[in-house]
Amino acid sequence: MTADELIQYLSWAIYVVIFVNVTVNAFRRPLPANIDIALYFTAFAVVIALTVITRIGSVPATDPLLGAILISFVLSLAYLLVRLVEDFSKVPRWIKLLSEVSLVVLIISAFVYSPPRPTWLSLLMILHLVGFLIYTIVAFLRESKRSSGVTKRRMAAVAAGSIFLCVDFIVAGFGVALPEEYTTTIQAITDTLGLASAISYYFGFVTPSLLRRAWQEPELRAFLGRAASLPRLPNTTAIIEEMQRGAANAVGAPNARIGLWDDDKKVLRFSLDEVETELAPAMNLTTGRAFLTQKATFTPDIARDNPLYADAAKANNATAILAAPITAGEKRLGVLIAYAPHAPIFADEDLALVQLLADQAAVILESRALIDEAARVRAHEEVALLKDDFLSAAAHDLKTPLTTLVAHTQLLERRALRTPDAPVDLASIQKLGKEVQRLRTLVMELLEAASAEQGKLIGKKEETYIVALAQEICARHHSARHPCLVEAQEPVVGQYDPIRIFQLVENLVENAVKYSPDGGDVRIKLWHDTGCNHLTVTDSGIGISREDLKHVFERFHRGSNVDDRRFAGMGLGLFICRGIAEQHGGTISATSAPGQGSTFHVELPADALREL
Amino acid sequence: MTDGRPILVVDDDPDILSTISDILEFEGYPVEKARNGEEGLKVIDRIRPWLVLLDMRMPVLNGWDFARILKEREINLPILVITAAQDAQRWAQEIGAEGFVAKPFDLADLLFAIERQKGIQGTGPLN
Repeated sequence: MTADELIQYLSWAIYVVIFVNVTVNAFRRPLPANIDIALYFTAFAVVIALTVITRIGSVPATDPLLGAILISFVLSLAYLLVRLVEDFSKVPRWIKLLSEVSLVVLIISAFVYSPPRPTWLSLLMILHLVGFLIYTIVAFLRESKRSSGVTKRRMAAVAAGSIFLCVDFIVAGFGVALPEEYTTTIQAITDTLGLASAISYYFGFVTPSLLRRAWQEPELRAFLGRAASLPRLPNTTAIIEEMQRGAANAVGAPNARIGLWDDDKKVLRFSLDEVETELAPAMNLTTGRAFLTQKATFTPDIARDNPLYADAAKANNATAILAAPITAGEKRLGVLIAYAPHAPIFADEDLALVQLLADQAAVILESRALIDEAARVRAHEEVALLKDDFLSAAAHDLKTPLTTLVAHTQLLERRALRTPDAPVDLASIQKLGKEVQRLRTLVMELLEAASAEQGKLIGKKEETYIVALAQEICARHHSARHPCLVEAQEPVVGQYDPIRIFQLVENLVENAVKYSPDGGDVRIKLWHDTGCNHLTVTDSGIGISREDLKHVFERFHRGSNVDDRRFAGMGLGLFICRGIAEQHGGTISATSAPGQGSTFHVELPADALREL
Repeated sequence: MTDGRPILVVDDDPDILSTISDILEFEGYPVEKARNGEEGLKVIDRIRPWLVLLDMRMPVLNGWDFARILKEREINLPILVITAAQDAQRWAQEIGAEGFVAKPFDLADLLFAIERQKGIQGTGPLN
């Protein structure tokens, strides 16, 4: 056996293997594409069989009938490839017609003209083969570019096989015209090209699973690369949208959708551009079938499968639909569907990929559910903790005036019983009145916190002179231990609720005094700039840690360096301050460091009238 | 007996401080007042009370530190914790106080607790 022969036998063997595989597949899944692939390789098998017959010598190679039959099958190869292209894309009618007419005319000519055939006929035959092969090669390459995953690489392999075959035909065709001494060289070239074509087709049509996995990897990897970050997106809709985009890219489909199973309503819920659609899963729909049978499935032609959806399919430029269930263990979460503009030529590959992506989607959705659950538990704990904090703070603050009220009332009662004729104890009554006021203030604070929460703090607005207001507050809280100073170069005026602004400033000053246990100045600074009134209250007290600063205006928040055994309070004061500032259209902020005092800065929109 | 020695009341809230003092004085107990632990210690340096009514949450020197300093100075005084906290009992145990009265209290409860301390003191080894 020569090297040439070895190469030739090897190519034949490969072609036979492909033929057997694709034929079995066509019987198993009689889709148009599978049938056309089987026909293409049947033609190859016949050509090989006829060649073998001449080799063995049962029929002489020069037999005109055998030669004509052989030529017919070779010519049919180009036509069959055109048919295959038509299965996954649009072939212009004239090209299809031309391929059919050309095939018939050339076959008849092959039988009419016995060898040696006229040169023009041989040229026409080569032109037929090469012309249509080039057309299909372009179609395969285009499809490869459009597809992704295994399909993309399989298409490229098919295109490569066809390129080798095409060159093979060209070399063989023109080789005939060359002098005898070139025959061996030509033979060696055509045999090598034949082997290359066979191997390419083998990879394209009978892809080994190892290669299949390798080819699938880039798309899966791209999808998985983003997968880890997906569960942390702000909401499920955002996750779904990202997964839909990722799945569409991975499958190479223009559109992919995820339907989530709503167990209460028993429907699959799709959301597209903020429009929700519900779909009750039914066996006559691909989506429903995938969900109900829990198996990946596809429909090559939506319009034919369910005429109701024909228009919708057309509008989405979709002919075929692939669907796979999204399931985590026993839990049915939904369905992933991918729309394709034409029936998938390698449907199993695409289905396998869609299923893999659906499995990943299940993992992502489950992770999200766990994150949500953890957040719910955490929020629940925080609320419980907040309630505890609030209760103990409120209890302490409310109990103090209550203690005086209860004890002093009982004292008055005792006195009255023992000395009924004693004069009215005015001082005690005033004291009781003061305690009732104090209690009222605390209860009001609680109610105001609720109002602040609801944005209903501000009452009637009027022209408010903040400097005067600050001076009054300062005078009230001034002491030798805590000297209070107001700095202002100009009147600062605005349309505000004066009662609330007073409360806001007084609260800040009270805090400044309260949290400066070792004494120290309390400074209030006021100024005005374009469109804005500013007020700062600065103390030299215990300060606020960086961590606490973030939460200082939150309800019930108390500084971690605030010893609640020394400083009673509900942690509502600054929360109400923020409410007052914000509900005036302003802001409040704080700068501080532990042990270095604090500055609270209030910014309020300036009086509109004043601006004029 | 108490030998005419006063009761020391330590509370940062001036209203509560004066109310308790009024009650005790009305019932015939001499009283010394302090607005925080530090002031309380100063009183003790000057005159030894037979009983301390102690608030816990106070600025400058709180009830815990006050009790600790007394122990350090080996001054053995019976203490009744008077506090608004739900943990009044636990806090009283923490500082080794004789008892506690939770705010807001009934006059009768406060006086009963004081009477009881007087009784214990009266029959105690001191006498």
